[in-house]
Amino acid sequence: MLVKILSFAGFREILGKEREQEIKESATVQELLEVLAQVNARFKEAAFDESGELRDYVLLMINRKRIDPRQDLLRPLQEGDELAIFPPLAGG
Amino acid sequence: MIKITEEDFSLDEMIKRARSKDAGAIVTFLGTVRDDGMERMEVEAFLEVAQAELEAIREEAMSRFHLMAAEVVHRTGSLAVGENIVAIVCSAAHREEAFSGCRYIIEELKKRAPLWKKELGEKSERWVGQT
Repeated sequence: MLVKILSFAGFREILGKEREQEIKESATVQELLEVLAQVNARFKEAAFDESGELRDYVLLMINRKRIDPRQDLLRPLQEGDELAIFPPLAGG
Repeated sequence: MIKITEEDFSLDEMIKRARSKDAGAIVTFLGTVRDDGMERMEVEAFLEVAQAELEAIREEAMSRFHLMAAEVVHRTGSLAVGENIVAIVCSAAHREEAFSGCRYIIEELKKRAPLWKKELGEKSERWVGQT
């Protein structure tokens, strides 16, 4: 199935602003992030620490609602879902 | 009015829109690009989400602090040192509410609005908040 990925700030510079990614049916957020890390070494380095844990400053939204990376990484995705990846907010 | 724009804005125009006969206080906040050893700053937004979040923050401030009006403009794009980044204008019957409303909006904006800043110097660049 296809999902959409939007990236901002430092992650946009690595992944591009918008892309579609083919993933297996019912893949989780964690699995999608791992697919991205497999195809993009810079993303792997930026998003995951040496032990493979998602770094604290990686923030995520699914369909424009924030998710908690400590709790929601095993959430299954659906066809057409939009995952946004970005660092801590810094407006103002 | 809530606006996220590449263009500069007029604080005077915002104040004009916030004026009303029942408002006895207008408080403004203007954020500008500080020279932290950089040449310019780039501001990026997740536009639709930032706009909706700022609308929500504005509504909360209006009702919590009994504001007569609240205006927020945040710029995106490339900004030089000294240029405007963000302006907030709040009017209320009395200064207490206007100060509180203005402070609430800028603090919540910083916490909740998906906006990012990149500092660019002659030899280095960095995204604020991303280590």
